[in-house]
Amino acid sequence: MTQPALIEEFTERAEGLSASVAPAPDLAAAVEYAVKLTLEMGGTTLAAPGWEGDDLAAIEAACASAGLELFSSDLRAVADNIFCGFTQADWGIAETGTLVIDSRSEDLRLATMLAEVHVAVLLRGNLRPNQEALHDEMDALFKKGPAYLAFISGPSRTGDIEMVLTLGAHGPRQVHVMLLEDAS
Amino acid sequence: MKTTPSDLKQYRAQLKDALGNEFLGKTLETFTDIICQRRDTCFENMDFAALAAEVGRMKDAALPRLMELYAQFKEQAEAAGAQVHFAATAAEANRIIAGIAEQASVKKIVKSKSMTSEETFLNPHLEGEGFKVVETDLGEWIIQLRGEGPSHMIAPAIHLSRQEVAELFNRVIGGDRDPDDIAGLVQVAREQLRQEYLSADMGISGVNFAIADSGTMGLVTNEGNARLVTTLPRVHVALAGLDKLVPDLDTALKIVRILPRNGAGQIISNYVTWIRGANECATGPEGKKEIHFVFLDNGRLALAADPVFGEALRCIRCGHCANVCPIYDKVGGHNYGHVYIGAIGLILTYFYHGRENARALVKNCLNCQACKANCAASIDLPRLIKKTAGLILDQEPRRPAKNQLLAHVLKNRKLFHFILRNAYLAQKPLAKGDKVIRHLPSFFGPEHGFRSLPVVARRPLRERWPALVTAEASPRHRVALFGGCLIDFVYPEQAEALVGLVKGRGVQLDYPLAQTCCGLPAQMMCEEDTAREVARQNLGALDPAKYDYILTLCASCGSHLKENLPKLLAGDPGLAAKARQMADKVIDFSSFMNDVLGVEPTQGETGPKLAYHAPCHLCRGLDVHRAPRDLIQAAGYDYAPYADEEVCCGFGGSYSLEFPEMSAAILGHKLDQVEATGAEILVSDCPGCVLQLSGGLDQRDSPIEVLHIAEALARAGLKPAPDKS
Ligand code: SF4
Ligand code: SF4
Repeated sequence: MTQPALIEEFTERAEGLSASVAPAPDLAAAVEYAVKLTLEMGGTTLAAPGWEGDDLAAIEAACASAGLELFSSDLRAVADNIFCGFTQADWGIAETGTLVIDSRSEDLRLATMLAEVHVAVLLRGNLRPNQEALHDEMDALFKKGPAYLAFISGPSRTGDIEMVLTLGAHGPRQVHVMLLEDAS
Repeated sequence: MKTTPSDLKQYRAQLKDALGNEFLGKTLETFTDIICQRRDTCFENMDFAALAAEVGRMKDAALPRLMELYAQFKEQAEAAGAQVHFAATAAEANRIIAGIAEQASVKKIVKSKSMTSEETFLNPHLEGEGFKVVETDLGEWIIQLRGEGPSHMIAPAIHLSRQEVAELFNRVIGGDRDPDDIAGLVQVAREQLRQEYLSADMGISGVNFAIADSGTMGLVTNEGNARLVTTLPRVHVALAGLDKLVPDLDTALKIVRILPRNGAGQIISNYVTWIRGANECATGPEGKKEIHFVFLDNGRLALAADPVFGEALRCIRCGHCANVCPIYDKVGGHNYGHVYIGAIGLILTYFYHGRENARALVKNCLNCQACKANCAASIDLPRLIKKTAGLILDQEPRRPAKNQLLAHVLKNRKLFHFILRNAYLAQKPLAKGDKVIRHLPSFFGPEHGFRSLPVVARRPLRERWPALVTAEASPRHRVALFGGCLIDFVYPEQAEALVGLVKGRGVQLDYPLAQTCCGLPAQMMCEEDTAREVARQNLGALDPAKYDYILTLCASCGSHLKENLPKLLAGDPGLAAKARQMADKVIDFSSFMNDVLGVEPTQGETGPKLAYHAPCHLCRGLDVHRAPRDLIQAAGYDYAPYADEEVCCGFGGSYSLEFPEMSAAILGHKLDQVEATGAEILVSDCPGCVLQLSGGLDQRDSPIEVLHIAEALARAGLKPAPDKS
């Protein structure tokens, strides 16, 4: 499958699961998106575990200028105060609109589970047609040390009351995927 | 602990209550309609049967190796810092888990959904030991607050309406909620449970699959609660049936492919979570999670070694066998299962929760095959249900009189046919000169009055046959008609219609007179020996080598001859081969007319409006869908389809006598839909369905006429295509 075809299928599927997908030319654009979204929704905090160096600096700067409180580690201490989770995704699965996130880091898990909104950055080159195409990467992960791998497809949902689809049962109410150009 | 009535009368009373609960009926209907529709959409561009068969094969391959897989899993998981326990019984699993909690000084436990913990009644055990246990799946939380068990394997509170949920929350938490604000109700759970995760010491989860070669577990969920349960508390216990062990990631991915699609009607669940070993956990010992796996045997190893019932362990708990079951659709899981719900529940109840709980429940199956056709692991559920019923029957102090009588009479064809012929005389006064009996004799009881019964024919088909059929000059097809009891003795006119249709078209029709009942009624009453004996007699009467086709007008006879005969006679040297030959040559009327002979569409005006009922044993038993519909249209009828054409009519042979209230309710559902089409005629290709449908319409005083499809085609003057050879 060509990359445009992968992007098209991923987008269609993810949107079908109530996620939003938007292109981002570079990380700065993705950060700006997350910050703006948080402000629009009345959030005051952003949790961004797993970022380092220049990337983290860019996030810090953006949060500071927007007046958002940034948490980049030790998220348990602020567990009930995470509005936006801003994380990377390791892979995307086009067939099902799924984000695949190596979540060994507890902070990463907490940011993607406890946030009201999850914004994930995914490199276009890491899109795969289906879950089977990730077999080898997954198998390798599961065969060395502890692992916590998450497939996330759209926001948390439930149909437990009369099959009426309701978003935000326990996890994020919204999931936004920023498709990043590979070069950046 | 829960009990399900073992006495049939008591169980029937429970079913009757459920049928009378309009609220429940509406909630269930909405649920099954939505879920089945979503599920079917998921498989639109996929070969479901092939995928399910593959899952079945993969699971089957693991069954003889369960202990080997367990050892491998244990080694791998321990290498990654987990602890792995083996529990021989439910009680032992509960003790192990309570012990882990005790050791780790746990006070509060949060749980994500685990059917295995329902099986072991884990919550009451832990609560008895002084732990606070909170379910976090929304549906599980709701039923926990109500103090009841799940009514569905993946949608545990689906038997409840929004009003009931709102009232429950008002009562338990306080406030006054708008039942129509479902998002608001969900928000209640989100807020209340967030605090529970954060303050819990231990999380208990189920396991959807445990991958042996890496010691990795998988969880397939939507709400996200399982992620919180496995992340926030410092201890995690995962409880798994041994049957959840799979050899490798390939098998696990296959399960992920089919489980959400078949179970929830989603191409993927929101969260698929893969966990191996002791992950980071800030509050755990040395910053690591304390993680335990408890594998439960509770009879699984014995089951895995059983040549017949091992198949039940293929189940991946998608829950769809309930969604498609017409009985579940009417009464819900609390009345159609013990702990495990639906078709698979009927079987597992006996093995995991005992004979008493299964005794009446296991009889509640129409053999409509809907579960089998939709099972994610391709399990022959109706067959196993019947086999389970047989096991239970074998353990009764004596066989019911009706079984003894049936076995005795069926084995002796002459006696059987003598009785059927004389039934005509016995029925005459009841029919009062009519073609049906509207008022059954009082020993039947009023619950049987939902349908009129046809009168046995004055002259059976076997008497009419010699005058009916003439020799074909140059036959193209040598065909034996397998009549079956209903055609021969009740509805010979259906066979006469067939004879008229094919006359002069090169079909040499025989009706071997030594044939007898196909044996399905015996099999349905768990009298396998009798079914085997009549199978032998039929093979003696009708040598498949003499014919090109063995034609049936009864879908039930047809599918029994095709599917069950080879199984019944598999151990009978010589006859086993003959039975397979017979099976190969069996064909139903519609396929024979449409696909073998071909027809010339009638010309002229469109005929009357006509609705079709697809017999279970035709559409699922023989996988025939198109032929009858093509024929109806070729005959010029104004075909009026409706949604549940392929849903059972509620007959199920002796089922309708054993569970008349259920049979009436399922029939009612069908007839409502048929009446709504405005059809003048209703056709089907099975005399059993014709009996049920016409009996029900007669009691409704409906003007709709019920015909066998052969009669309808004959009436329209449809002709087979002329011989081109
Ligand atoms: S065969 Fe039909 S009635 Fe029996 S369990 Fe399966 S779906 Fe239900
Ligand atoms: S028996 Fe089949 S359909 Fe029923 S729950 Fe198990 S896998 Fe699903």
